[in-house]
Amino acid sequence: MTPTPTAAGVTRAAAGAPADGTAAPVAARVRGLRKVFGRTVAVDRIDLDVPTGAVLGMLGPNGSGKTTLIRMLLGLTRPTAGTAELLGSPVPDGAGAVLPSVGALVEGPGFHPFLSGRENLRRAGATEPLLTSRDLPAAVDAALERVGLAGAADRRYRGYSLGMKQRLGLAAVLLVPRRLVVLDEPTNGLDPAGTRDVRRIIAELHAGGATVLVSSHLLAEVEATCTHVAVLQSGSLVASGELRTLLEADAGGLVISTPDVERALPVLRAAGATAFRDGDAVVVADDGPPAPEVIALLVRAGVAVHEARRRRARLEELFARLTEEAR
Amino acid sequence: MTTQADPLPLRRTSAPLGRLLGAELRWVLRRPRTLVMLGLFALIPVLIAVGVVVADRRSGGGLIGAVAGNGLVLPIAAMSLALTLLLPLAVAMAAADAIAGEAAHGTMRGLLLAPVGRLRLVGMKAFGVLVVAALATTVIALVGVLAGLVVVGGADGRLVTLSGTTLGLGEAVGRVALVVVWTVGQLAAVGAIALAISALTEHPLVVLASVLGGLIVFGVLSAIPALEWLQPYLLTSGWAAGADALRDPLPLDGMAESSLRALCYVAVGGGLTLIRMLRRDA
Repeated sequence: MTPTPTAAGVTRAAAGAPADGTAAPVAARVRGLRKVFGRTVAVDRIDLDVPTGAVLGMLGPNGSGKTTLIRMLLGLTRPTAGTAELLGSPVPDGAGAVLPSVGALVEGPGFHPFLSGRENLRRAGATEPLLTSRDLPAAVDAALERVGLAGAADRRYRGYSLGMKQRLGLAAVLLVPRRLVVLDEPTNGLDPAGTRDVRRIIAELHAGGATVLVSSHLLAEVEATCTHVAVLQSGSLVASGELRTLLEADAGGLVISTPDVERALPVLRAAGATAFRDGDAVVVADDGPPAPEVIALLVRAGVAVHEARRRRARLEELFARLTEEAR
Repeated sequence: MTTQADPLPLRRTSAPLGRLLGAELRWVLRRPRTLVMLGLFALIPVLIAVGVVVADRRSGGGLIGAVAGNGLVLPIAAMSLALTLLLPLAVAMAAADAIAGEAAHGTMRGLLLAPVGRLRLVGMKAFGVLVVAALATTVIALVGVLAGLVVVGGADGRLVTLSGTTLGLGEAVGRVALVVVWTVGQLAAVGAIALAISALTEHPLVVLASVLGGLIVFGVLSAIPALEWLQPYLLTSGWAAGADALRDPLPLDGMAESSLRALCYVAVGGGLTLIRMLRRDA
């Protein structure tokens, strides 16, 4: 694993942080970032911090500006307005100093079809400043092993399946211990096993102290792996923060499954509970009688109760609500 | 995976230049089309040699005609012939793959994110194109010398110049080497312009079409008498100077002038490539 980044990473980020009063070290920061292509506003004045050590999931429908934001953050595209900062260095002008410890898979994997997976990685590794020539072959082998491509390493990239290509892209990110890893739609084209592997790799990077920025439209993916989320909609940031906080703010109440919603509602309301229908279930708010009493009331009234559980907000619902509101 | 926290490599912001050039060289030489192209270039002098031997009787004049019974003329004749179209196309192809091709494959992002500095990237790509130019020219020259001595033969391993004097094998090979260097210089000019076009596009074909079109337009322009004042600015107008190496004493002014012109093209092409690459999105 990557033992070094924690200590070195934190102190460096702190040393490189601008003296504008923000105490917490951030791995990436954008301020008023805006990108206009012709008449289309791809990214509209976004302010976002990626805290050091976080796994930030960037969510948004297709065309919401996720990739453009990432490209500007990495210095691949110049913003129309605003500033971006990567590990304490301004982008794009100071990016050269920090990019060696940034790994990125943006807009799909890019490799040469006539070279084998291993040759492609070797070529990528040769351009990595932090990799010594002596360590290069071992690093290539380790990265291939880690993404499960060791068996297909010597086949030409031309013959790789979509999932294998994606895995090779991940392997290139893993060639060097990184302080920040940016993955743009990493699970595209992957089968369930591949998706699990990506999740495992993100967890490993996180455990090693690296900051991970992952964009996805697969909400379950983000919910399973991320500590923070940022939700984009039509180029604007509609919500960002810690995943748990966002979900808790949206949670609460008791969900009771019953075939007899019509009878359940008046019983509950008569007892002073705020109850409403939600499909085949009744949702009871927390401001009324406590849960055991609610269930006892229903049972006593002869309403069949199949299941009762705390309502936990799902990222999917939160996301749907956020993007609906912003529309 | 490197586990030791070596403080020195941690501070590196760029891979060693030698390793970058090595990687580029490997990439250029592993590309199947480069190898096929070099093989085809090796065929040019062989085909000319066979053609000259089969035609046998002193048929025709010009450079090819001078090859008959005078094998060491062959490499120079083959290079002069290839310089008119084939060698520039080979260089254009290398330049097209170098930047536009990388962009089309999505590998340019990887290079810029590694990061390979944009200045180094241009240097690395120019090196790759120059290697292709040098290899292609050298292949023609080497096979030309061999085919000239073995297939055409004649003149006892000596070179009979166009001026009628005779040069020894050593000096003849020296003349061939001079033409190789001069030809690579002319190709560098083509390569620099092709790289500039390559930096402007994501479509490798645009580069090939532009270079091909440019060569044709230059040819047409130089054929119009009213545009004679344009001659000193056209790269192609000095391309006959390679045959000067077959004269005795060796007139250098033609090659010097065309080399100077090539240098101007290299400067313009290189400058444009650099300006464009410093700002290019990937």
